[in-house]
Amino acid sequence: MMPEYIKIFYVILKRDLTLTFREKTDFINSLTFFVIIILLFPLTFSTKSELLNSLMPGMIWISALLATCLSLETIFRSDFEDGSIEQFVLSRYPLVLIVSAKIFAHWLTFGIPLIIISLILGLLLSLSNEMLLAIFITLIIGTPILSLLGAVLVVLTIGLRGGMLLSILLLPLSMPILIFSTIALQNAALTQSIVAETYFLAGILILAITFAPVAAASALRIRLS
Amino acid sequence: MSKFSIHNLECIRQNNMLFRGLNFSIKDGDLLQINGANGSGKSSLLQICSGLIEPTAGEILWENKNINKYRYEFQSNILYLGHSNAIKAALTVEENMRIIHSLTGEKANIDYSEILNTMGMTGMNEILVSRLSAGQKRRVGLTRLYMAKSKLWFLDEPFNALDKKGKKIIENIVINHCNDGGIVLFTTHQKMEINNYPLQNIHLGNHDA
Repeated sequence: MMPEYIKIFYVILKRDLTLTFREKTDFINSLTFFVIIILLFPLTFSTKSELLNSLMPGMIWISALLATCLSLETIFRSDFEDGSIEQFVLSRYPLVLIVSAKIFAHWLTFGIPLIIISLILGLLLSLSNEMLLAIFITLIIGTPILSLLGAVLVVLTIGLRGGMLLSILLLPLSMPILIFSTIALQNAALTQSIVAETYFLAGILILAITFAPVAAASALRIRLS
Repeated sequence: MSKFSIHNLECIRQNNMLFRGLNFSIKDGDLLQINGANGSGKSSLLQICSGLIEPTAGEILWENKNINKYRYEFQSNILYLGHSNAIKAALTVEENMRIIHSLTGEKANIDYSEILNTMGMTGMNEILVSRLSAGQKRRVGLTRLYMAKSKLWFLDEPFNALDKKGKKIIENIVINHCNDGGIVLFTTHQKMEINNYPLQNIHLGNHDA
């Protein structure tokens, strides 16, 4: 049974990746949105590098959150519209497995590019190496949490003219991630250790991996009936 | 001998009583058409039978086991096809078929070209679904009938958007399936031209259809 499950996970993952790259607009839009918000901050504040160094952590994280809200919409929308969700729910495989594959695909096509862009922007804004490392660590742990948490919320809000509602739900719920990440980044700016914050974030990630797919799958069933 | 039966089924949607006290029981080889006017609850009945939504009251048994308790056991025996085709416009016909095939869990290799051949879509493997007509999309969705080895079929308006030839093809698959001991529940507003097989009917709604 196990290899079969891995195969289905791979099939769904490949399906979603192919779909994302074929219908590029959603994918490119949310990343462009992310870049634009980050670039707006230095325009509105003074460009002194010490100031940027202290503002950058919050900038990156707030932009990432907003861009996540935009990109999440697409995870399940087309599947709801064309009836694929019904087929997933009625398939002989656990719905949790299929949902997990879809969330993972979202992270690969949104989280990973977002991390790379952040690092490039960090270089352009001449941040210190410690800062870049801290940005990388908090984002690589934080973005999957956003994908997981967002997937649950997007299922609950889909079809309810969800865009706004999704943001209103996701932004407060992501506060713990935001707090630990920005503290980590502030510490890194002062060249202090970020181990404690990293552990907290990792803990939240494990919690999200454990519960979010199950919650999203149950929410899907409820949404259909 | 497998058996599918529903007992005292009741369905209320948006404060609207669709049906109540519905009972029937079907067994291997049965072909059942659900009739009724628009909005009389045909699709809801199929969705309830497939376990997609839960009835307000009553229970559904497959081989004497409640389908909501033995969900996965039941789900590996069914094929449900709703109004929508559940195929992706941005993928090619064959890519869609591969995904459908994987989700059925059948391991045997399948010749996709051959299935498309019988569906009257020869050589269209590499065409994007977004380029197809409504009828052709329906046909791609209906290739599930060839790929799934499930016993129990729930087909909601399978003939929608199909031309005469397409309808004939699907009628043949359905009859073959019943001859092999399969069970088919379907809804349609079109006239069925099935003469060589006993067709059972149930009617939903009090008002005349």
